[in-house]
Amino acid sequence: MKPVNILVIDDERVICDACHLILSEKGHTVERQLSGKSGLEALESEQYDVVLLDMMLPDMDGMNVLKMIKKERPEVCIIVMTGYSTVSNAVKAMKLGALDFLAKPFTDDELVAAIERVCSDGG
Amino acid sequence: MESSDIFKNYFGVFRDIIRMMHSTNSLEEVLNLGVRRTSKVLNAKGALVRLLNKTTHQLEVRAAWGMDKRYLSKGPVSSDKLLPWDKGGKKIHIISDILNAPQVAYPQHAWDQGIRMMLDIPLIVNSQVIGLMRIYLTEPRQFLDDELDFMITVAEQFACVIERLRLMENQKAHYNHLALHMEKMSSLGRMAAGIAHEINNPLAGILLYSSSLIKKVPPESPLEEGLQIIMSETQRCKVIIQGLLEFSRDQEPQKAPANVNDILDKALTILNNEFYIHHIRIDEDLENNLPLTLLDENQIEQVLINILLNAAHAIEKDGIISIKTRMDIEHAKLSIEIADNGCGISVKEIGKIFDPFFSTKPSGTGLGLALSYGIIKNHQGDIRVESQSGKGSCFIIDLPILPSDLQKKEGSGDLK
Repeated sequence: MKPVNILVIDDERVICDACHLILSEKGHTVERQLSGKSGLEALESEQYDVVLLDMMLPDMDGMNVLKMIKKERPEVCIIVMTGYSTVSNAVKAMKLGALDFLAKPFTDDELVAAIERVCSDGG
Repeated sequence: MESSDIFKNYFGVFRDIIRMMHSTNSLEEVLNLGVRRTSKVLNAKGALVRLLNKTTHQLEVRAAWGMDKRYLSKGPVSSDKLLPWDKGGKKIHIISDILNAPQVAYPQHAWDQGIRMMLDIPLIVNSQVIGLMRIYLTEPRQFLDDELDFMITVAEQFACVIERLRLMENQKAHYNHLALHMEKMSSLGRMAAGIAHEINNPLAGILLYSSSLIKKVPPESPLEEGLQIIMSETQRCKVIIQGLLEFSRDQEPQKAPANVNDILDKALTILNNEFYIHHIRIDEDLENNLPLTLLDENQIEQVLINILLNAAHAIEKDGIISIKTRMDIEHAKLSIEIADNGCGISVKEIGKIFDPFFSTKPSGTGLGLALSYGIIKNHQGDIRVESQSGKGSCFIIDLPILPSDLQKKEGSGDLK
């Protein structure tokens, strides 16, 4: 697939770094943000194809961040990541416009597959 | 003593026991009254009651009156002592030659206490011998048939009271245990939800890095095996936490009318392969006319699968799993019995099997039965186990049938 521009929003630095490492190796550009607020700010100044969004952020509720991204940048593909995965959580995130759902912990292959899936679905 | 006086005394005992039946809930009180009044009415030196412990199949001393204190501390004796009555006889055994009678465990001791005759009266409920009362007399005497008859009648009443109180005490102990268990589980659930998020994040880091690194390892490198282990162990943690989360989630069942036999069929189909591999035969004995019951089909299926899988694991090879469903209209419930002829559960472990994290399997999470337990409780049902180490286990699930469920069954009959 062609390289895409990805933003990772997760307060866990290790996860941001891991996603950065794995996705950069696939040729994608990856930026990391550790809070909901800084993530939204990054979205204002830069055009992203995919956002990997953690649902539990220290400063904002992940669902709210999701809503705000969809409002400001409806074209961005959003993949939700969560450590507390329930079916109802996933359904709620999908209803709000997320395209995929990664339950932590996940492997590099699952991560790469999710990115490929949303990019091909998104056209 | 005039025979009319004797019978007057018997009536007194009879009345006392009946009164006790309605006025006390203490088994101990009833037993003590029983041995005391019976000893007095027979002018005996004392009396002793042994009750059958259904778990150990031994007769345990539960009450004594008038005897040397040491008698109370006598150990249990084998239930073989009840054999003479097992064929339904209700006869009182009169032991006149106490020094040579096989039923007397401590003949010399009895003789030294001045005992010269003993009466063994079986305590029988629903033609089951639940224990025995032994009367110790200081001199041999003759008993009228009517007298013996009366003793049997008194013993019958006595046995009924004992059985009722024993059931009540068992139920009480059972429910206290349940309440404690539920408490423990709900606090665990709350904690689990908090932990899950905290643990899944570091696990995500471990899994992402190890799964990415393993691709960079040169072929044949010993690093590959190590990374593979790190990955699979991380996945294992994920499964455990997933189980914990399921546990902590609000398990309010989504109930809809369903037939338990159909759910059993579904669970068996899913496990068909497992049974085939282990050469396990399934014996089904299902109630034909089960009414539809309100229950959460997925949850009940999960419970049945858990129990069936445990049964399959308890059986090493070539075993039998017997499945029975029954309807009990009188108690408005239906029951599912799943029995195996596997390794069974030891007395030490049987009290813990529904505890979270208790597992005898090396790779078990110990959540299967704890979860099943929670599900059945949320259905206002009951789940319990009977097991003998080395012989097998039997899980019994009771689910309530609502009166409306029964009407539905009758209703569906009318439609035909």
